[in-house]
Amino acid sequence: MNSRERVLAVLAGEIPDTVPIVPVVDGYYAPKVIGRANDECFLNGACMAEALAAAREKYKYDGVLAEMGLGTPPNVLGCPVEVEGNDVPLVVDTVIGGRADLEKLQVPDPWAGGKMEPVKQLVAAAGVDHFVLGSVRSPFEYAATVRGLIDFMTDFYRDPELVRDLVSACVPATLVVGKALVEAGVDAIVMKDSFVSTSMISPEHYLQFAWSAEVESIAVLKELAPVVLHVCRNSMPILTRMAETGAAVLEIDSPVDLVAARDAVGDKVVLKGNIDAAAVIEKGSVADVEQAVRLAMAAAKPGGRFILSTGDSIPVSAPEENVSALVEFGRKYGRY
Amino acid sequence: MSEILEQFQLAVIQGDSDRSAEMAEAIIAEGKATPDEIFDFLAEAMEVVGSRYETGEYFIPEMLRSAESVEKAMGILEPYMFERRHDQTGVIVMGTVKGDIHNIGKNIIVSALRASGYEVHDLGVNISTDKFINKVREVNADMLMLSAFTTSTKLALIDIIKSMEREGIRDHVKVISGGASHSEEFAREVGVDGFAKDVKSTLAVCRRLMDEKRA
Repeated sequence: MNSRERVLAVLAGEIPDTVPIVPVVDGYYAPKVIGRANDECFLNGACMAEALAAAREKYKYDGVLAEMGLGTPPNVLGCPVEVEGNDVPLVVDTVIGGRADLEKLQVPDPWAGGKMEPVKQLVAAAGVDHFVLGSVRSPFEYAATVRGLIDFMTDFYRDPELVRDLVSACVPATLVVGKALVEAGVDAIVMKDSFVSTSMISPEHYLQFAWSAEVESIAVLKELAPVVLHVCRNSMPILTRMAETGAAVLEIDSPVDLVAARDAVGDKVVLKGNIDAAAVIEKGSVADVEQAVRLAMAAAKPGGRFILSTGDSIPVSAPEENVSALVEFGRKYGRY
Repeated sequence: MSEILEQFQLAVIQGDSDRSAEMAEAIIAEGKATPDEIFDFLAEAMEVVGSRYETGEYFIPEMLRSAESVEKAMGILEPYMFERRHDQTGVIVMGTVKGDIHNIGKNIIVSALRASGYEVHDLGVNISTDKFINKVREVNADMLMLSAFTTSTKLALIDIIKSMEREGIRDHVKVISGGASHSEEFAREVGVDGFAKDVKSTLAVCRRLMDEKRA
């Protein structure tokens, strides 16, 4: 099996030759593989595509994430973004000061300014042998970004109607970007909904403000490509509801116990995760990586429906030998 | 008086901004509470909020709700507290460092410092090293207070300290850093003169460092 076939087998509910390995390598880590600075690649999509392709070629994992920073210059739905001098793009101002500003919300044109060309470049580099995922923000994450995270979460109690209306108003943005990614050639869409983690908001607020928009968006996007729903940190209390959104894959982070996760969702969704990107890949030893991979495989490999990954983005300071070890031990312990 | 302060404390814990404002007015009307008493009740309230977050009863929106109730109350109490204690004087430049846009904790600290008598120049969030240094020079600041919520801002803090040394102003200006991620070890690593995690410790550190400056 080649890498792409491996991932497709898992998505189809079949047992592959070995567990696919698709770590979260994005604009935080990939630029250094080609000796470039993060802000340089965030400002230049072709540079980012080159970096992501080079990282995949170097480490030999099965899939690549087209995290081009579609939120990078010039804006995220109208909010100015600062890139230069930063490790990651920073939204420095917001456009939604209140209800009256809802009409200012811009639905992005993903094709404007050649923004999708780097995605196509990455798809071409992946060829037929490797799997390509394209990343889009969920409506809830867009809403938090354009309102400002602090004001957005303060609104949960101050003006819950505004929260609901703003999230709903952001659904078109998620759909238009997701569709563009598929048109550009990605094999699957990663919907990032990081702020719904129960490390940040209660399960009740997830249901009240985010879940319906996830369901609505995924219902459309899954007709085009499988959807991976990404929630960082602790998502265990909301995992069964995440599994009910229609997502084919749940990307889970290190605080979630894989055995408990599998018990909670059964085999109706694929689990992707959940090696600790910071504690293990960045700060651990090669032996720590081996142990983490071995335990993850023991927990989630049986029966298929598992993709080995990090729980979140690999940090820029992660040692090369640890990223290599993730793949090496993933192959060693992933054979069926 | 303690009943009013207890009600004030409860309003903060529950994140009831209207009630915290009402209690702030009641504190002023009674006219008996000292700034220290108010800060003590406030500190206790925020400790309860913090521990409820740790146990998973509260999440970030609930903490923000409480913080908003504090901000609203402090806006009312500031002149009252200033009248009763403005023996702590000094000029402070403050802001959140580059790469960090958290501001709610900083805003509460700004209120508390002004209420205590300090002249505070709040630059806002995501502030570059140059902006901090230029403002410190412009207002002849006694202290530079840097809000850094996450450990990823360590490099920004170190850059500011090194730039101050290069500019020859490090010896004249006390530097304090603050934020949820801070610890003694973190403060030592970045080279600041003091660190603080909440209102009470901020005021104590400022008082100590101003005393050192004057000595």
